[in-house]
Amino acid sequence: MNTRQVTSWAARAGGGLVRACVVLVLSMVVPAVWAATVALGIRWGAGNPWSWLPVVLVAPLATLVLSRPVCRAFRSLVTRWTDTVIAPGYRQAPPVVLMSTGYWWNGFSYERTHRDARLDQRWRLRWNDPANWRDLRFTAIVPLTAGLLAAVPPAGVAAAVIGMAQPALPARLIGVLGLAVAIGSAPYAWRCVEPVAVRFLRASAAMELAERVDELTAQRADATIAQAAEIRRIERDLHDGAQARLVGLGLSLATAEKLMETDPEAARALMREARAGAATSLTELRELVKGINPPVLNDRGLVDAVRALALDSPLEVTVSAEGRLRLDPPIESAAYFGTAELLTNAVKHAHATRARVSLARDDTGIVVTVEDDGGGGADERPGGGLAGLRRRLAVFDGTLDITSPAGGPTCVRMAVPCASS
Amino acid sequence: MRIVVAEDLYLLRDGMVRLIEAYGHEVVATAATGPETLEALLTWRPDVAVVDVRMPPTQSDEGLRAALAARAELPGLPVLILSQYVEQLYARELLADGTGAVGYLLKESVFDADEFIDALRRVAAGGTAMDPAVISKLLSSGSSHRRLEHLTEREHSVLSLMAEGLSNQAIAQRLFLSDSAISKYTTSLFGKLGLTDDDSSNRRVLAVLAYLNEP
Repeated sequence: MNTRQVTSWAARAGGGLVRACVVLVLSMVVPAVWAATVALGIRWGAGNPWSWLPVVLVAPLATLVLSRPVCRAFRSLVTRWTDTVIAPGYRQAPPVVLMSTGYWWNGFSYERTHRDARLDQRWRLRWNDPANWRDLRFTAIVPLTAGLLAAVPPAGVAAAVIGMAQPALPARLIGVLGLAVAIGSAPYAWRCVEPVAVRFLRASAAMELAERVDELTAQRADATIAQAAEIRRIERDLHDGAQARLVGLGLSLATAEKLMETDPEAARALMREARAGAATSLTELRELVKGINPPVLNDRGLVDAVRALALDSPLEVTVSAEGRLRLDPPIESAAYFGTAELLTNAVKHAHATRARVSLARDDTGIVVTVEDDGGGGADERPGGGLAGLRRRLAVFDGTLDITSPAGGPTCVRMAVPCASS
Repeated sequence: MRIVVAEDLYLLRDGMVRLIEAYGHEVVATAATGPETLEALLTWRPDVAVVDVRMPPTQSDEGLRAALAARAELPGLPVLILSQYVEQLYARELLADGTGAVGYLLKESVFDADEFIDALRRVAAGGTAMDPAVISKLLSSGSSHRRLEHLTEREHSVLSLMAEGLSNQAIAQRLFLSDSAISKYTTSLFGKLGLTDDDSSNRRVLAVLAYLNEP
């Protein structure tokens, strides 16, 4: 062994010893409170009518109050020492909002003032949190597991210090043994804290559910906003386009009817005009309906609709698909419009000449891949088309993976989980 | 001509029947669903049938499928598909068997009654009547686009009108040119595309459409 190895070992043993001590102290905080209260009760003895008070009241209360800071400390230590991040999973405060009734809503109840609402919310968040039970369980478990193991090196050091000081040989031998145990176990003894913390401090099923509910709530809001905007757009298009044209058509026909006797030539011209107007409004309606629900998608399903899309695209698009997938209409619609958007991007932004679309089912759902030979460099701007596409897919728990290095090629993969039909 | 009209919306069906009868043709049967259409086509074997794409019971492409099935049974049975939409995909399916006598037009083509009846006559005579929108998409689709690059602009417009199913005289009228000029253009573009220029105008159009329909 050279000196460098020796010094590095010494450093690890020293660091390990310090860490073991920290773990030991932290895990023994709550047991220490219990021990102190029990000792106090015993000292007051049976003669004192209040001797039960510390054990029955103070110790449990202290446990409740201390469990959260202890758990937070363990979490941050584990993150600092091993880079393992453990999600805290405490309940988050919902925003306190002023309702139109003049009361403040804090997510749990209505209060008269903002301050009351905040206080009430803080109290409820702290004491109605399912995470409290998890923290209590952890404070009970940790002294018997990580605490116990972390106690080995300090105990060895203590044995060495006490044993070496004794003149008797057996005691000295025990001291040497203690030293050996301390040095040998110091680099490793604290490591037990990581698995214990990961196992008992991670978010419980209830917390994960709560998070999922939050996520779904946000998605629902997104979806309803998008839907409302879409309906508004359709209404506007109908109002400014087809409806206005039909009014014009009626006017032309009424005028023509009037002119039939007096000026048949002008009447005929008006009729021709009316016919042209009817054709134009049909074209507008057709475009509008295509944007809502493309006819081929309705008639034939996703695969043929994508084939039709490929035919209409200015790119050379090859489509490969497994048979005739039939999925739920909303999922088909999302996949179709996603593909349409990606092909448009390939033309507009990437200036591609060829593209390949493949549709496949795997055991979890449907996967649509769109590749082009364009310039690449596609990025997802907030509020841009790709971000919108990601949101649309997220409604079905779908995912969007984009690989688009500068210089191309771009490959985008949309995956939506769905049961096979 | 003896004509079958298949359309599920009563108003449109009735209007179409009246229009056809106003021009002195006979509507031998009408149909309002896919199965009825197939039955009427096979029973009556009309000179030409006017068929809507979307019909009950499924409200999908029932009419188109009935027409394709009838033509599989009776090759070359003249069918004019009328639809609210023209889709390249459906046009290619109709043209795939190469026997001609098919048309595919938007519903508003009936606004111009003369043109509509002319299209019916062309299809009945074994020709074609394709919507300009479909043809322009066929011409600009990825594979055709490359093969048509070396046509002049004039040849390009002659080709697209020919693909719609128009005769040389009709093309000449549309482009304000003489018949002889048109035949000069057709000769040159057939040479460029490597197609044999047939005397019969219907067979010539089919050659062009088959060429455009190649993937």
